[in-house]
Amino acid sequence: MANRGPLSRLTIASTIALGLIAGLFSGWWAITGGMGGKNYSGWYGSRVTGSKDADPWLRARVAISGLLALNRNQAIYFTRKTDDAGEPFSENCRYSVTGGPLPGKWWSVTVYAADNYLPLNQDNALSFDATEVVSDARGQWSATLSPTRPESGAWASTSKAGTFDITLRIYQPEQRAQDDFASITMPKVTRIDCGGKA
Amino acid sequence: MNRPVKLALLFAAAAAVGHVALVMVTPYALMRIVTQRASQDGALINRFQFGPRTTKDSRGVVRPSPDLAYSTCVYDLSNGPVRVSAAPTPEQGYVSVSAFAANTDNIAVFDTTQRPGGVQFVLAREGQQTPPGAEVVISPSNRGIVLDRRLAANDAMFAAADQARRADTCEAISAPTTSTE
Repeated sequence: MANRGPLSRLTIASTIALGLIAGLFSGWWAITGGMGGKNYSGWYGSRVTGSKDADPWLRARVAISGLLALNRNQAIYFTRKTDDAGEPFSENCRYSVTGGPLPGKWWSVTVYAADNYLPLNQDNALSFDATEVVSDARGQWSATLSPTRPESGAWASTSKAGTFDITLRIYQPEQRAQDDFASITMPKVTRIDCGGKA
Repeated sequence: MNRPVKLALLFAAAAAVGHVALVMVTPYALMRIVTQRASQDGALINRFQFGPRTTKDSRGVVRPSPDLAYSTCVYDLSNGPVRVSAAPTPEQGYVSVSAFAANTDNIAVFDTTQRPGGVQFVLAREGQQTPPGAEVVISPSNRGIVLDRRLAANDAMFAAADQARRADTCEAISAPTTSTE
């Protein structure tokens, strides 16, 4: 078989079609899977989310998983899909979220199901925020992520959330936080137990 | 150049085109879907729509915050600039008003901490005539969306925010104007 003969139209068309399909798959792979960004103690965030400085890949990722996100002058966003041990979040488990003062006027933590929408439960507890947690003298607070309401404290329900993720929003962040996300002491997320078993 | 090399190059070029096209088109396509929904298929342009309290059933835009009240105005600058005005929420509750272009870029954001009396600005294309003295935000696209976010973490806060935002306006303006160039 000659390796130097002319290519048939069918061969050319097939090669182009296969290439386009491969390109679409690689493009989809590149822009799905969350808002992207760097890892800050298990939370992922990008300084260019929502801004005109975002590259086309980040812009597309944000469009899919965080459309109409604000730029960092107004709000910064962090998302995580795993606990501090690196295990994916599961609605069957309970988690403790602990942290200290966060550098903004207001903040919230919200649970999202894998489809990027709020979980379809009836608990009316889709998030907890800065006004709900009780801080101790050192400014430390704790909250619970679980499928059932805890006996006390701030809570976000994970019922019907499946393999969920959580988003931390810090609104009107301090300048230092805007400039350097690594300066933020991020909340810890520790698994308490799963299905009632530690 | 032999056939396998030609085919490999052709495959790689087609893959690059497919990859880049998807990445570039996705933000515009998703924004178009959202603006079509928010404007009820183009029937409600240059006016605010006041969304209900965010619940598990809120499916218009991905990852909504249940702690915020959202209002949207799909703008169209093809016939001239649009003036946006948003009233503050009582007791200085958080309010931000942000403008997004057709490619999803957040082209401007204002809040009532900086402007306790409320937010006013004019959206325009480069070169359009705008009112003298107005704060002008230049949009790179004719169409986009303005989003009013208000802290509304419970029913009482939502009621207060909802009452306040009813004073918001988003409307096309006409002369007298000055050039933005």
